[in-house]
Amino acid sequence: MAVEMASHSQVLVEEKSGVRILTLNRPKQLNALSFQMISRLLQLCLAYEEDPSVKLVILKGLGRAFCAGGDVAAVVRDIKQGNWRLGANYFSDEYILNYVMATYSKPQVSILNGIVMGGGAGVSVHGRFRIATENTVFAMPETALGLFPDIGASYFLSRLPGFFGEYVGLTGARLDGAEMLACGLATHFVPSKRLTALEADLCRVGSSDPTFASTILDAYTQKPRLKQQSAYRRLDVIDKCFSRRTVEEIISALEREATQEADGWISATILSLKKASPASLKISLRSIREGRLQGVGQCLIREYRMVCHVIKGEISKDFVEGCRAILVDKDKNPKWEPRRLEDMKDSMVEKYFTRVEEEGEWEDLKLPARKNLPAIAISKL
Amino acid sequence: MSDNRALQRVNILVNHILQSSPTSSSNLSLTREICLQYSPPELNESCVFDVKEMRKLLDGHDVVDRDWIYGLMTQSNLFNRKERGGKIFVSPDYNQTMEQQREITMKRIWYLLENGVFQGWLTESGPEAELRKLALLEVCGIYDHSVSIKVGVHFFLWGNAVKFFGTKRHHEKWLKSTEDYVVKGCFAMTELGHGSNVRGIETVTTYDPTTEEFVISTPCESAQKYWIGGAANHATHTIVFSQLHINGTNQGVHAFIAQIRDQDGNICPNIRIADCGHKIGLNGVDNGRIWFDNLRIPRENLLNAVADVSSDGKYVSAIKDPDQRFGAFMAPLTSGRVTIASSAIYSAKVGLATAIRYSLSRRAFSVTANGPEVLLLDYPSHQRRLLPLLAKTYAMSFAANELKMIYVKRTPETNKAIHVVSSGFKAVLTWHNMRTLQECREAVGGQGIKTENLVGQLKGEFDVQTTFEGDNNVLMQQVSKALFAEYVSCKKRNKPFKGLGLEHMNGSRPVLPTQLTSSTLRCSQFQTNVFCLRERDLLEQFTSEIAQLQGRGESREISFLQSHQLAEDLGKAFTEKAILQTILDAEAKLPAGSVKDVLGLVRSMYALISLEEDPSLLRYGYLSRENVGDVRREVSKLCGELRPHALALVTSFGIPDSFLSPIAFNWVEANAWSSV
Repeated sequence: MAVEMASHSQVLVEEKSGVRILTLNRPKQLNALSFQMISRLLQLCLAYEEDPSVKLVILKGLGRAFCAGGDVAAVVRDIKQGNWRLGANYFSDEYILNYVMATYSKPQVSILNGIVMGGGAGVSVHGRFRIATENTVFAMPETALGLFPDIGASYFLSRLPGFFGEYVGLTGARLDGAEMLACGLATHFVPSKRLTALEADLCRVGSSDPTFASTILDAYTQKPRLKQQSAYRRLDVIDKCFSRRTVEEIISALEREATQEADGWISATILSLKKASPASLKISLRSIREGRLQGVGQCLIREYRMVCHVIKGEISKDFVEGCRAILVDKDKNPKWEPRRLEDMKDSMVEKYFTRVEEEGEWEDLKLPARKNLPAIAISKL
Repeated sequence: MSDNRALQRVNILVNHILQSSPTSSSNLSLTREICLQYSPPELNESCVFDVKEMRKLLDGHDVVDRDWIYGLMTQSNLFNRKERGGKIFVSPDYNQTMEQQREITMKRIWYLLENGVFQGWLTESGPEAELRKLALLEVCGIYDHSVSIKVGVHFFLWGNAVKFFGTKRHHEKWLKSTEDYVVKGCFAMTELGHGSNVRGIETVTTYDPTTEEFVISTPCESAQKYWIGGAANHATHTIVFSQLHINGTNQGVHAFIAQIRDQDGNICPNIRIADCGHKIGLNGVDNGRIWFDNLRIPRENLLNAVADVSSDGKYVSAIKDPDQRFGAFMAPLTSGRVTIASSAIYSAKVGLATAIRYSLSRRAFSVTANGPEVLLLDYPSHQRRLLPLLAKTYAMSFAANELKMIYVKRTPETNKAIHVVSSGFKAVLTWHNMRTLQECREAVGGQGIKTENLVGQLKGEFDVQTTFEGDNNVLMQQVSKALFAEYVSCKKRNKPFKGLGLEHMNGSRPVLPTQLTSSTLRCSQFQTNVFCLRERDLLEQFTSEIAQLQGRGESREISFLQSHQLAEDLGKAFTEKAILQTILDAEAKLPAGSVKDVLGLVRSMYALISLEEDPSLLRYGYLSRENVGDVRREVSKLCGELRPHALALVTSFGIPDSFLSPIAFNWVEANAWSSV
């Protein structure tokens, strides 16, 4: 067993015959993706794709998180030092990694035995297999941070059943492993105590044909019970409200529902929308709606335009403010600007979707050319 | 999909029991290499302009709302989602029976209603609200013509009749309940014996002052209302068009509201309804026939914006002239032609996007021994079949947008222009759609026969567009008649031409160069000159021919009939010039850049293919034989120049993948044994 145990390494690599096990190793930061980790993952993924001896890639996290997201603290530092372009580079690399994973020619198995948020979803959900466990906690909390669900989330959230994706993306609602499996964000559910055996079995895979891994995974998977108060059981209400045309209409539809019967889940949903950044909510909804009609590549290109506008902060500075309130000062009391939904005009929303006008060399995200591009990766517009 | 999953699961279990390795043996990859492989056109085609910008230009308005309703449809199981070749598609199951198609169409409308799609459709006004409504209706039609027609009948015919022919009392009673589908409306104008000639309808309504009621009757079989969308199954109310007889005087055609079904769907007394039966398309719409057996309706149900009958039975109208009254009455109905024209172009876009994408992934025959087979769109002949139609679709897209703009900004002064332009555009755009669909059907070969692949099916679904809301040939004659009237009136009053795009006739007759070089042919000024010359000359010829015939003692009407050939040429010349103007205007508004450049090529193709296809240029000698040869060569050259942009140009239509059909994508995978 060749284990790379260098303590400085943020991505641990194990080689077991045709399988490579990559372990995110920044447990104190809940494996938040540093610039270094992203570069390393990208480098490894591309090398494994070329290496015929590699048949399968396993990705997991050390400690109680799979990966709690991108390293936004670092990006905010850059922004504050007037260096939004450094942040842009970070996102550019991250999205390229997402794209490579979404179009990967070999199966990727992500073991989501813990927290999976934001950027953590980006390095797992695009892959072929996602294993949830009883420890999994999934969320896309960006709207509470003044950001929006990026990392290709507008592609995969928009493809969840009905309007569940809008619900997850706008409210930042937490999902457990059973819910992830039910809505399709996870492909399998395996109790954590069986993970070691599963890993050992997967290491015997001798072909990059996903049906081999699939057979093994199917033998371990269980059908967990969806908890009684699960949001996924409220799909009828979610479809009815989150299908509406605008954020304002979504909230008033929810409020209409709430007046019909007192319901803790609906109130919590309304509350999370009211606490989120108005700018974030509006661009997120539009992003998911556009993403529904686009391929994953176009989604990432659009999200890159959006994120550059977000970090440049010319339309709204909610990202810096959100990070201050949630991550730095932890007063949980962000002062959003614009403050109200109606102040976030359509014309302001529109700007996030245009190219960044910048003296100097700002460019749209350049996706690497991929072989064997799957149908899902190519969509128009 | 669930079947597929079950099958996979069975395979896995079988393999597990037999201890064998899962499917896909090494042989399989070997055969795959020999076999044809689908290669997505995106991998080989480049895109030199911003597709999103071009889409915004083509859709013209409400792009975000369009995406919203596309998404609403893809996310619901009501829209017959299916997976083919790893992609999701939504399109109706046309193999359902007529009754099933009608019910599912109604259910789809309920779904859109519940999601707020129709919010404000009758209770909000102003250009912005109207454009939004038109955009949403267009997307409905891209999914299924039946949905858009059923929605269109309810809102644009029934709803707008209440809104525009009715007054406050009707608005208060009906508009909100129509918007919420508490009442379901239909529109009984056409009869078995009278279609385009509305003034000839035979339904008769009299007034009974003793009960203050109108009495509507169908006096003979040819007076039965026919093709009434919504009447066969769903509608609870209808607008009835009828002759109004007051004290023995026929006051002409008027519109009334009548209830035809109760809230439980039972047909009301004194009404008989029969089905129009199965149709060549549009079977999701329940067209019916209605007979009125002395049906009594309250006096208030006369839509009285133009004329009224007092409780004691006196006829009152602000407009004394029955011709003008009829005109004022019909003016608001232009919306039908506006929506038909733009929906025809979206249908052509579905056909072209499918056929062009297919021709960029399908190969046939090698041109060298043992060489690879050639991509369909690399054949100059295939380019010549599809790319001119693509250019026309672009030009007509701008034309449809312009028509919508003048419609939503209409004033009493623009009514005439809207009538003329909408007549010409409706006819030319719907004809263009039918022709395009047929060409696309043939261009994708046998795959076009499969209903699932849409292009063939759409021919049946959209065919009716050439007939309803005015037969295309009748409409084109109306264009020529209107131009004639304009010409005569300007000459008589010795006033310059103003409006209908005839201002060019105030200047001198354009002179075309004898030698046509490539750059001349592509010059917008030259193109405008040819189109103007043709229109001007034909209008002059038409009016002088009419004058001659009248001079020989023929009536004006007979003279028009005699001159039908010139009338046809003139109507076409007018409409094609108006279309050219819209794409020129769109191009002129653009900043320099790749979108403008490509649009310039498209515009030149539109102009030159229109010239190439029109024999009147040679017939009347506007171009020489040599000129016509130059035009033809230039079309061929333009085909080659547009070829590299073909994919980007159809991508700019903005129609999501899921609304096209499986042959537009991986048609090998979609037909693989594993997907059987």
